[in-house]
Amino acid sequence: MIFKILKQVINRLSLVFGFVLILVLFNSFSVLHKFYVSITQIDYVEEQESLQITSRIFIDDLEDLFRELYDKTIVLDVDQESEMVEFYIESYIKEKFNIKINGENVTMNYLGKEYENDIMFCYLEMENIKDINAIEISNKILFDKFDDQKNIIRLKINNKNKSFVLTQDEQIGLLNFN
Amino acid sequence: MKIIKILCIALIVSSGNMFAQQEEQKSGKTNTNKFRQLYDEFSTPNMFRTGSGAPGPAYYQQQADYVIDIELDEKNKRIHGFETITYTNNSPDALNYLWIQLDQNRRAKDSKSPLIETSTITEAQIVSDFTKSFLKEKFDGGFNIEDVKDINGNTLAFTINRTMMRVELPETIQAGSKFSFSIKWSFNINNHITVKGRSGYEDFPDGNSNFVIAQFYPRMAVYNDVEGWQNSQFWGKGEFALPFGNFEVNITVPSDHILDGTGRLLNREEMYSREMMKRYKLAKKSYNEPVVIVNTEEAEKASKQASKYNKTWKLYAENVRDFAFATSRRYLLDMMAVKIGDRDVMAVSLYPKEGNPLWEKWSTRTVASTLLSYSRMTFDYPYHKAISVHAENLGMEYPMICFNRGRPNSDGTYTDYVKYRLISLIVHEVGHNFFPMIVNSDERQWTWMDEGLNVFLELIAEQDFGERYPEVLSPEHKRYPTRRGFPNQIIPYMGGDQDYISPIMSKGLNIHQLGNNAYAKPATALNILRETVMGRELFDYAFKEYANRWMFKHPTPEDFFRTMEDASAIDLDWYWRGWFYTTDWVDIGIKDVKKYYVSSKPNDYARSYAEQYKIPVDSLPPMVFLVEQNSYEFEPIMQEGELLDKSKPLKAYLMDNFTEAERNKIKQPKYFYTITFEKPGGLVMPLIVEYNYIDGTKEKVTYPAQTWRHNDNEITKAVASEKEILSIKVDPEQETADIDESNNAWPKEIIQSKFEKFKSKSKR
Repeated sequence: MIFKILKQVINRLSLVFGFVLILVLFNSFSVLHKFYVSITQIDYVEEQESLQITSRIFIDDLEDLFRELYDKTIVLDVDQESEMVEFYIESYIKEKFNIKINGENVTMNYLGKEYENDIMFCYLEMENIKDINAIEISNKILFDKFDDQKNIIRLKINNKNKSFVLTQDEQIGLLNFN
Repeated sequence: MKIIKILCIALIVSSGNMFAQQEEQKSGKTNTNKFRQLYDEFSTPNMFRTGSGAPGPAYYQQQADYVIDIELDEKNKRIHGFETITYTNNSPDALNYLWIQLDQNRRAKDSKSPLIETSTITEAQIVSDFTKSFLKEKFDGGFNIEDVKDINGNTLAFTINRTMMRVELPETIQAGSKFSFSIKWSFNINNHITVKGRSGYEDFPDGNSNFVIAQFYPRMAVYNDVEGWQNSQFWGKGEFALPFGNFEVNITVPSDHILDGTGRLLNREEMYSREMMKRYKLAKKSYNEPVVIVNTEEAEKASKQASKYNKTWKLYAENVRDFAFATSRRYLLDMMAVKIGDRDVMAVSLYPKEGNPLWEKWSTRTVASTLLSYSRMTFDYPYHKAISVHAENLGMEYPMICFNRGRPNSDGTYTDYVKYRLISLIVHEVGHNFFPMIVNSDERQWTWMDEGLNVFLELIAEQDFGERYPEVLSPEHKRYPTRRGFPNQIIPYMGGDQDYISPIMSKGLNIHQLGNNAYAKPATALNILRETVMGRELFDYAFKEYANRWMFKHPTPEDFFRTMEDASAIDLDWYWRGWFYTTDWVDIGIKDVKKYYVSSKPNDYARSYAEQYKIPVDSLPPMVFLVEQNSYEFEPIMQEGELLDKSKPLKAYLMDNFTEAERNKIKQPKYFYTITFEKPGGLVMPLIVEYNYIDGTKEKVTYPAQTWRHNDNEITKAVASEKEILSIKVDPEQETADIDESNNAWPKEIIQSKFEKFKSKSKR
């Protein structure tokens, strides 16, 4: 039974992603007292051959999006959320967030998420990373919902700190270490 | 001769300049010291605004009094209005024309506002959004100005420049005189769910609407000593600048509507049913809980069929800078009284039933609690009521009334998040009554002056609310989960990409992260100023002084900065410069710790300059010798023994110069340290250091920010202690928003990242 539901959801997801990529809202008046931004910290820990990713996303923004994409009744809240939420988050993030190391795609493990006030902290990891000469990051999280969404990426790799901001106009960030 | 020579050496030694170095001549420079005064940034004090930050002897402000008749065309979602404005020129200047704000023109078909936004074509778009962008005719929400006339009915010429209108005068308005004129206008109300905006209407499935109406009348622009006529157009961002005045407003709506707005309701007995009046009288004496004046059944009954008749609600407000109202036949209404000083103020909520069960429980209580907290920090709330209206998607403030979002799910359940967000929003918007509705700063220019100060007080009011109503807190929360204003919360912003950060002293329209820039950062700056730099007592006195000096007036940023210093005797120019005029951040750490022991015999340092001055080592003046623990001269025996036993010259000096009783009082330190503190961050801040001793005790020392005045990058401190120092920590309670804590401890602490904490937690 669970498999059946999963399969349905996967079908639905691929449909949604097939058709809804990015919508740009012309004429949109910015909602008051609100700014759309996520911050993703990416640390390379050489001893562990691990790329550790912590993403901070506003809960209400993601909830609005999920209600539109998946399920009108969805709630992001520790006490009340359905088991599907974790699945939606993992699917959505893996769809929208990609990292290439030295030109290659690497598997991203979703470790989980936790809430702190109005922010969701999302944890991802890439393992067996022996060295990093180049990293390419694409983060389109919430671009499909808010035209002025900004996704800030902060890197700490090989003792170098670097940050960039990904927007609708600039969706990919590239950093070379050589 | 020998004595003189020894004295000379002693002077040289104690001043520490043993080997003077020859340096190349460097080029000259201007004063870039971070503690220099803000004379270049601040305008020169004058008769209008004094150097103390108070209004000067020649301070003036204009007055605009309105008599307005409004009719709501519910079916066509249109407003028709006629107003008479009486403008009093209190300035010393003669005025040849008047400027009036037509804010709704931001939504006119020919509005330039959308043209300043950037956009791209995306290769796949949802049909509804594609239609909205490219196919649908744009909503026409601009003002239709039908005529402008003087008091005798003569037409006045006018010129509309986008969101502003210049009215030509039959004759110059001299200083101290008045001019009255009238405007007739109409406009289409925007749907604030689909078209967005700060006001508008929301449709419900039963065919009825909720109207929350503001910026609905042509409003006088501000003329003052700083700007002359306000000339910054309304692009959609950057709120309003408005003069004070008295408003007499008559609003005609369908007779089954419940309405409330800015000002006293003059014909309440006529508008309320007998039952409502009875409940209203109960509410005026209910200080602990709201009394429901229109309940769900009554609202549902009214919603069934729209009345064919109209009635006119009459409101009168004195000394307000604006006017707004809310009207619908779907409203529930509740009120309670709250004692402010020796007066009763009514806390009021209007909401469609969709707001329940959240609204009946928390809205009015939040309004009342907010008025108490803000009044404590500023002045007694001077108006007679404060209303919170439920409007989905909005969060917007007007005098005595605000529109707030926060709606439970359709089955009545709601998350903690929705509950806290609603309460925080009501605190915030009701709080705006103080800043900028009463302390009336120019929102268009300086978003932070109302938003920043308001978010700072919001934090205090929310913490109060959690204490006043502990039942609002979920079990995992020990205090109200305020989301902005605490030092740690601003770190991701202040440590972020500099390309997307502006100084607080920037115009709201032009900055990237308005929420962080104009709300969270100034609020945090004030919170840190209060808790860490000034202390609550000095801060609160000065903040209150600012609020009282400028209530019902128009302050500028300098009036705030100057008052805070004037009333506290703390020179804060360095703090304003760093936090408000730059995008620098805080990062202070420990670079190095050296430990010394007293040695009984002369060390190489002593020997080398004895040699330099060609005298035998034993001819040096009496000295105490110290050896660094890691140096080649160090011997374990130096760790043993008492100070006076190890240094005979010191003992002799004490014997010669102090009585026995005095000697017994002298503490004998055993451990000596030179600690090097580094400051990679550009902001100067007090250096807060916690010394942890081997016996488990600790001591917190706060070195004032001025400790950085000679060297902005690195300073050293010599510490002498009877007990060994085990560890040292900078900013131990995380009160300065230090963006990088990896250098905050000695010995270095490995700080587990959030990622590592989560990973090890989930493994367990």
